[in-house]
Parts: sequence; structure tokens; C-alpha cells
Amino acid sequence: MNTLKFLFALWKANLQSVMEYRISFLSQMFGMILNNSIYFLIWVIFFDRFKDVRGWGVTDMYVTFGITASAFGLISLLFGNTFNLGDIIARGRLDYYLSLPKPVLLHAVASRTVASGMGDLVYGFLSFAASGLLTPLSLLRFILAILLSATIFGAFLILIQSLAFWMGSASNLSMIAVNAMLTFAIYPITLFDSSAKIILFTLIPAAFMGALPASFAQNFTWEILFQMLFGSLAFLALAILIFQLGLRRYESGSGIQVEV
Amino acid sequence: MSAITVSHLQKNFQSKRKTAGLTGSFQSLFKPEYNPIAAVRNLSFEMESGELLGFIGPNGAGKSTTIKILTGILHPSSGEAKVLGYTPWKERQKLAFQIGTVFGQRPQLWYHLPAIDTFTLFGKIYELEDAETKKRISFLAEAFEIGDLLETPVRKLSLGQRMRCEVAASLLHKPKLLLLDEPSIGLDVVAKQHIRDAIRTMSEQEKVGVLLTSHDAGDLEALCHRVIIINHGQIVYQDKVSNLKRKFLTRKLVEVRYAEEIRKDFALKGMETLKTGRYGVKLTFDTRATPADAVLARLSEAGTLVDITISDPPLEEVIANIYQESASEPSELPCLEK
Repeated sequence: MNTLKFLFALWKANLQSVMEYRISFLSQMFGMILNNSIYFLIWVIFFDRFKDVRGWGVTDMYVTFGITASAFGLISLLFGNTFNLGDIIARGRLDYYLSLPKPVLLHAVASRTVASGMGDLVYGFLSFAASGLLTPLSLLRFILAILLSATIFGAFLILIQSLAFWMGSASNLSMIAVNAMLTFAIYPITLFDSSAKIILFTLIPAAFMGALPASFAQNFTWEILFQMLFGSLAFLALAILIFQLGLRRYESGSGIQVEV
Repeated sequence: MSAITVSHLQKNFQSKRKTAGLTGSFQSLFKPEYNPIAAVRNLSFEMESGELLGFIGPNGAGKSTTIKILTGILHPSSGEAKVLGYTPWKERQKLAFQIGTVFGQRPQLWYHLPAIDTFTLFGKIYELEDAETKKRISFLAEAFEIGDLLETPVRKLSLGQRMRCEVAASLLHKPKLLLLDEPSIGLDVVAKQHIRDAIRTMSEQEKVGVLLTSHDAGDLEALCHRVIIINHGQIVYQDKVSNLKRKFLTRKLVEVRYAEEIRKDFALKGMETLKTGRYGVKLTFDTRATPADAVLARLSEAGTLVDITISDPPLEEVIANIYQESASEPSELPCLEK
């Protein structure tokens, strides 16, 4: 209960912090909606020409892209520091979180809001509405799918960024990994053969972020729900374990820091 | 009762070694070499509850590393430490509820928000009731004279104002022990004095123990009962501040002004002339070799005295001498500049 109160207080402070720059906040939000719309237009043109790719049509694309965008937005909004956790580790900025009486990882990742995430989150819902599948029940499934998709994405980010404990800097690797994750998450899963799919469920768990939740949002099955739950929680557990193992190697730093 | 007990604490870091140039970079890429570096060596000391202890040393002496181990930020390589009965690196969260920390080089206050928002957030972090947080903020605002600063975004505060808010924030949850790492770094004389006054007042009022690291001897003189001087990760001196002064402040500085012009080659037996002016002179003498009354007698024999000041040399000078005496590096691992 105390942890929840703490998280809400932290998110409130994050929101206050980004709202200090009102114009920047609003422009980032609407800019991201526009950016996603332009990007998605290419897929609309593509599917207008080819109708479907091995059974994967524009409706699947709307749902997959919607879930991926909203999951990305949710992580950006609530756990924005997952994107620069490696940098925080490498620069010794975990000191701040370690000196306060809350779980270090949770405190660190929840201490920043990326304002453009609001645009991604909203865009995801608009994309789902555009798919023509919107009903009260499908909306509930869509929201659950976003939560599990966001969990796997957040866990993947934490895992990759925690490598900074060993590598010193994981910024470039993280950038490559995030790009790979997002690219494969929004690609039609039917394009890949079985060996590529193994990679998409393990090394780069993009299938857990895009295709699987999209399938669940369209048609409820216990099997897919179980697969998503298992995948997200297993990756989250692994990410926390790697972070905790790395924390023992943490070396702090002496750089002067002027901004929290 | 001991607030801190440290026994044979050691912290080693691995430092990558690379020869100069591109060849060195390639060698380092495929066959990296590491040197173990000791930041803290076999350190043992105790601190009583409510005590104000100064941890003084030059850059790279191991002060910050020690304080980071004592707050649970770093794991030691070996040795034991108990802070308020907790082992910091094993019971970090429990300990954090009981201690306050300020790292002078790493602000805790949110940069874009007014300080009061961070204070409120800290109330949640330390699990205080909202009413309790408000009451405490009012009390600290008065004690630290920051009432009119609390609603200004932190980025717009001066360094001195910000540090006062930082120290106040660290006391929000009424900690039993305050660990301050370079709280006066970068501050001007007036701001330093403000911070020192506030820390001393709070320590007296709330019986908070203070472990303070600094390389400013002024912090030590103004605040601490006892001092530990550390160099190369080892204790080179520990005693009461008053004893430190008595043992090492054996030289006195004398400034004299005469009614008439003095000779250019002005000199007195048992005294070293530092500076000569038209009417005044600055001298130094060792109290063990020349008694103060003899000095006064000789000074008054030399002319008609208008003014005289006798003072101790700055404590920095004394500590610098102690550093120099301990400058020879210990064996085993090299020391750390961190």
C-alpha cells in the first residue's frame, strides 16, 4: 500500500515536472500523434495495394501498431527512466535512489516521465478505434493487452540497460535493442519462419509485445492469455534478477550532478 | 552507545589500464588489463550517538567512498560496519528510514520543481502522514530560514539557498544520524556560515549525530567535536578538535603596528619575520621555543606599540602538515583518486 502511495506521489511529481514546460509538453504530445500517423500511413498504402500478407491484413496492423504504441507510451509516461537506466548506472547516479528507503529499481525507473509518451498512448487507442473492432469487451481486452505488452517492453529495457553494470556503458546497445524490439513488434508475424519466431519469443521478445497481444485483443483465448502472462512475468523476473546481480557490482561515481 | 562502528573496512576498485595511443586502445579492447585500487584500507573507527564527527581529508582520500559504504550505496570488499545497529549494505532500506544524507555534489531536490514539492514527495518516501509532513516542513522552514524559498523552482535558487533546502530536506523524517558529504562545497563564506549554523542548531535541538566529510577545515572548526583525518584510505590522525589545535597549533602569528617608522631590517630573537611594512610587521614564533611573554617584551622594547594581534594559523595549514607527514604511500594496493 505504501509502495503504491509512493508511486502515485512520484508520478504526480513527474507530471508536475513536465508541466513546468507547458508548451513543450503539449507539442511533444501532439507531435508524437502526428509522427505515428504519418508512419502508419505507409502501412495503409501498402495494404491498400496488397490487401494482406500471408493472412495479415490492415486490421491486424491497426491493432498491433495500436498496442505497441500504447505500451511504448505507457512505459515512457510511468517508467521513463527505463530508457536511460544504463546511463544512470554508468554515471553513478543510482546513489540518489540507494540513499532513500524505497526499492531502488522501481524508484529509479519511475522517476521520470517522457512527455511524448502521452502522444503514443493516445495514438494507440485511436488506432484501435480505427480498426473497426471497438466494443466495450474488446476495449477491455485491448487494455489488458497493452499492460502485458508494456510489461515485456519495460522488462526488456531494464534487462538490456542493466548490462551497464558489467559493460560500463550500454547506451548504444540499448538503442539497437529498442529499435529491434519495436521494429519486429509491429511487423506482420506471418512474415517470419519458425526459427525467426523462436528469436522473437526469446532473444528479442517482440512477439510478446506486438503480435501475441494483438491476437488476444481480437479474439480471447486462455492459451494466449497464459502465454502472455508467462512471457511478461518471466522476463520481468529475469530483468529484476539481472539488475540485482549487477547492483552488487555498482561502483558509484564522483561526477558532479546538477539535475534530478 | 555507538551510532557507527567500523571494523577493518576495505574497498577495492578495479581500474582499467591502457597504454597511450591507438595501439593501446586496440590492446585494451582485446586484452584489457585491470589494476586493483584501494579506496579504503583497513579502516576502523567508532562514532557515539549524537556526536559531531568530522571526516577530513584531501581529494581521493576515501572519505566519500566510506560514507557511501555507511549509507549502503556501496558494498565493501571486506570488513564490518554497523550503523544504528544495521549492516548498511544488507539492510539499506531499514537504515535509510533512520538516517539523512546530503551529497554536496548530487542534489536530491528536483531541479524543475519548487523545493516544497520534493519535501512533499519525501514525506511519502519516508511514509509520513500528510499532516506530519506539513508540520515538519513549517518547522524546518523556520529553522533554516527557507520559508520564502520553498515555492521557487530549485533551478532558480542560488547554490547556498539550495544547499540549505537540501540539508532541511534530509532532516524531514527526523533522522537519528546525518551523513553529510561535502555539504559546503562551492559555497561562499556567508553561505557556508549559514549551513554550519543550521546544522549545529539542529544537532543540538534534535540530538542528531552528524558525520561530516569535508576538505574544508572551517567546517571542522565550526561544527565538530572530534576529527578523523584520512589519507590514502587510511586514518592518519584522530582526536578531539581541541586536542588537535593544542598539539599542532604551536605556532602563533603576530601582527604589530608601531607609532613610529620601523627599520627595514626589523628582526627579533626567537621570531621569524614574515612581512615588513613602514609602520607594521608580521611575525611568527613557536610557543615551545619562545614564551609569549618574552615575545611581548621584545616587541614593546622595539618601539611604541599602537596595535597588536596574536592569532593561530589557519587549521588548513595544520592539517596540510599532517597530510604531508602521512604522504608516503602505504604498501599493497595503490590509493584512489575517485
